[in-house]
Amino acid sequence: MTERSVIGVGTVVSGHVRGQGSLEILGRVEGDVSVTGNVVIGPEGRVRGNVNGAELRISGQVQGDLRGTLAVLLESGARVAGDISGPRVGIAPGALARGHVQTDGEPALAAARVPAPAARAFSPPAARVAPAPAPVALPAPAKAPLPPPKPAPPKPELRKPEPARAAPAAPQAEFSPVRPIKPEPRRPPPPVVPVLGKGTKAKKKKSHE
Amino acid sequence: MAGTVIGEGLTIEGDISGDEEIVIHGKLRGRLTTTDAVTVGGTAVVGADISGASLSVAGQVIGDVTASERVDIQAGGKLVGDIKAARFTIADGASFKGNVDMEV
Amino acid sequence: MPRPPHELSVIGSGTRITGRVSGSGALRIEGAVKGDINVNGDTELAEGASVEGNLSGESLEIAGNLLGDARASGAIAVRSSAKVRGELRCAEVSIEAGARVSVRLENEFELDFGTAQKRR
Repeated sequence: MTERSVIGVGTVVSGHVRGQGSLEILGRVEGDVSVTGNVVIGPEGRVRGNVNGAELRISGQVQGDLRGTLAVLLESGARVAGDISGPRVGIAPGALARGHVQTDGEPALAAARVPAPAARAFSPPAARVAPAPAPVALPAPAKAPLPPPKPAPPKPELRKPEPARAAPAAPQAEFSPVRPIKPEPRRPPPPVVPVLGKGTKAKKKKSHE
Repeated sequence: MAGTVIGEGLTIEGDISGDEEIVIHGKLRGRLTTTDAVTVGGTAVVGADISGASLSVAGQVIGDVTASERVDIQAGGKLVGDIKAARFTIADGASFKGNVDMEV
Repeated sequence: MPRPPHELSVIGSGTRITGRVSGSGALRIEGAVKGDINVNGDTELAEGASVEGNLSGESLEIAGNLLGDARASGAIAVRSSAKVRGELRCAEVSIEAGARVSVRLENEFELDFGTAQKRR
């Protein structure tokens, strides 16, 4: 059964939001968001922090990095200042985005992406977006279409039939306590270059590589 | 239908090579090589050696041209350079300065 | 003012250009270009085509491979078949899901976070 949380339009959350299930943000969050399920940020939603989830669908505004293990989709009206990464990234006409955008894998070769994808021809030499900030309690198969054994199955139909990764080892407790993320085996190390947009507003860095 | 068309407003500085028809109405400085037909339109200004199956010049070409079949300089066209082709025509009103080698 | 009769340029799929392409008029690239392209017309990089160099136009539609920076005074549209690596600078950008990109978006806009409201 899907577990879905909603932050109402008039609500402000100051602090990190994390856990299982999907999340709809219609109000404001001043902090990082990390859930295992999908994240929808409504047109009036405002997030000042990083957002991690399965599929992120944004029509509001975010100052922070976006990482979707399935997809990151910016709809018309969205404004994002931060880095965006995911296997599928869509930016609709009318959305505004500033930062590094990275799709991490070529669909046809998805099955081979389990090891670190650093060897890919299109990898940027330096600024690889960090998949997730430190305080995240995501289960292991970040990109797998396989839903976590229990709740909130992310969209199972994916373009990439990811081979069965190690079964999600993370405990399925809801809203598990904050703990530092263990970098997933196949992910590259955090970037050398600090990502743009985190905490900075309308600031353009000339050198990003 | 030409495979490549360089429009009147376009300028290319460099080498063009291919296996399809090329039509130039703009400017080229460099080299042009194809296995198909080359057409230099009336507005074209070409400073390049050209090699193709055939060449038709209605504009201006400064460079040596080689065609496996034929070279035709149209009225109003101008070629300054050597021609190497089995057949060629220089129309009345065309301008040509160079050598011709009709390989046998 | 009448348009010149030959305003649209096409670099065919069997054509390779090594060098610089510049000028006016619309441009459709179906072949391969190694060098900078700078035209003040609408430019389309077709699926299967490739540009290794910077690409600049009035608007850009990218469905092929681009390795280099892209700049448009208007919109840049990256199609799902595209593969782009470089910087995109334009008034408006769109990226279709499925495109393979490693790009930096440069864009001047302000976020509008307003004031925090706490109303229940």
